[in-house]
Amino acid sequence: MPAYHSTFLSESDTSNRTVGNMVLLPFKTKFRGPSYPTEQEYDIVEEVLDLFRANSFFKNFEIKGPADRVLIYGILFVSECLSKLNKTVGLKEATRILNNISLESFALPGDIGFPLSSMYLPPANKNEAELLRGYLQQLRQELSDRLLKRIYVASDVPSKYWLAFSKRRFMNKSL
Amino acid sequence: MASMGTPAVVMDNGTGLTKLGFAGNDSPSFIFPTAIATSTLGGKSTKSSASNSSSFLASKRGLEDLDFFIGDEALSAANGSNYSLSYPVKHGQIENWDHMERFWENSIFKYLRCEPEDHYFLMTEPPLNPPENRESTAEIMFESFNCAGLYIAVQAVLALAASWTSSKANRTLTGTVIDSGDGVTHVIPVAEGYVIGGAIKNIPLAGRDITLFIQSILRDRGEVDTTLQTAEKIKQQFCYVCPDIVKEFKKFDQYPEEKFAQYIVEYTDKNKTNTVDVGYERFLAPEIFFNPEIASSDYLTPLPTVVDQVIQASPIDVRKNLYKNIVLSGGSTMFTSFGKRLQRDLKGLVDERIQLSERLTGNKSSGVKVEVISHKKQRNAVWFGGSLLAQTPEFKSYCYTKQDYDEYGPSIVRNFSLFSVPS
Repeated sequence: MPAYHSTFLSESDTSNRTVGNMVLLPFKTKFRGPSYPTEQEYDIVEEVLDLFRANSFFKNFEIKGPADRVLIYGILFVSECLSKLNKTVGLKEATRILNNISLESFALPGDIGFPLSSMYLPPANKNEAELLRGYLQQLRQELSDRLLKRIYVASDVPSKYWLAFSKRRFMNKSL
Repeated sequence: MASMGTPAVVMDNGTGLTKLGFAGNDSPSFIFPTAIATSTLGGKSTKSSASNSSSFLASKRGLEDLDFFIGDEALSAANGSNYSLSYPVKHGQIENWDHMERFWENSIFKYLRCEPEDHYFLMTEPPLNPPENRESTAEIMFESFNCAGLYIAVQAVLALAASWTSSKANRTLTGTVIDSGDGVTHVIPVAEGYVIGGAIKNIPLAGRDITLFIQSILRDRGEVDTTLQTAEKIKQQFCYVCPDIVKEFKKFDQYPEEKFAQYIVEYTDKNKTNTVDVGYERFLAPEIFFNPEIASSDYLTPLPTVVDQVIQASPIDVRKNLYKNIVLSGGSTMFTSFGKRLQRDLKGLVDERIQLSERLTGNKSSGVKVEVISHKKQRNAVWFGGSLLAQTPEFKSYCYTKQDYDEYGPSIVRNFSLFSVPS
């Protein structure tokens, strides 16, 4: 049984917009951005957080479709977030740190410094690039928001079981 | 004959541990490391003896051969400076015969405290052991110890016999043995008591790798005590096999009280204790058998796939029986639900192939039954199987006696008749 794939693989070719070979899957969020809202309880953000711990142990991953690329990006972003925290950071401070990470400028597929260039196609034009940037930014904000809810459960320090995963690197890559 | 009423001695010398005891018993009388500590003083002692009471030590010269310890005593003796530790069995085979002879000498006289002339012996050997090694074993047993009779059995066959205690088992000597100890895991197909040598496969993942993986997780988390002993204890007390890791992570989120555990480390200093939290390693550690990728970067084939390959490499007429009787043996197969998971994954592989062939040929398959047998004697399965077989009244008729050996020479032990299956 190899690493886990996205369950949204089948939906990617139907109604969703694609940029390059990445699909803009809808997710629930209160942050502003180009993502479509969804009625489903289980969205891609939830899936990223569920699969993060299991997939972090795997170094090989076969991309089966555009939805897997969103999954990879999400998992790598979560591990980026965890690496910025340590066990003395309180919830308030952590919220500030993660907010900064999700809003800071980041590389898009095709840009220099994007770690997965071999697997992602760059956006075709400027409009598409803008759309992708907006979508990823929204995804990053929503991910860090929900991540905080998971790692600060009972106390004002992050769960050490989650922090331990910052040392493992999915596919041996990091953002 | 003096040996009529005495029970046979069963000796299983593994790479890591030696199991010693008498046939008919439920468990071995002694389990200790297959290690020997020999004196390194040797020639040097004469030099130092000049300084202290020289005349007394000089009279002791030539006795270095008798100055050695085995088992746990060897480990503690090797902590001092005067002894060097060695493991005479490597990869299941005896490498150092001189050390092994002394190891057996102490096993018989110091631990079991029996007279070898009065007992028959059942020894074990790994699959594919060269016949020359059998001859050397016989030479030592008959000529040095003068034992009454000897039988050398293949470990995998004994492990099959040990599974007869399970209610599910069908008392045959045909089946696939998965033997996982500390160093390596073997998958061995056996047909009617004969090992199918060409199909055997080894997996370089076993108990020690699980322990090291637990240690790395503990270190990632920054626990207070991350020694190998702690990791080993956590492996033995807390680990289990789960059906699916993502679902298991969820269970940890939902029921943290039940799933997360704590292990209290005790030290030789009684006042000092540490508490180590036990988390996801409970199910992740044994997972390396089913997903080797999570712990190792060079070995990637899961255990169920290896078992499938082994059976597919065996002669076609025994394959169904090999799938039907998969027997576990060794300490690293003791995890809760290990057998269940193996059976499920293997069944998946087999069913997939059957479906493919049905689609391609259009013929309906009668199906293949996959059954993994877990039983209570798994930890010392090889020794227990030996104990079971050596207590039968027929056992002595399968052995070669001292007289047979004297008459034909060592080559007599190249062949042993097989045990018939009691009905």
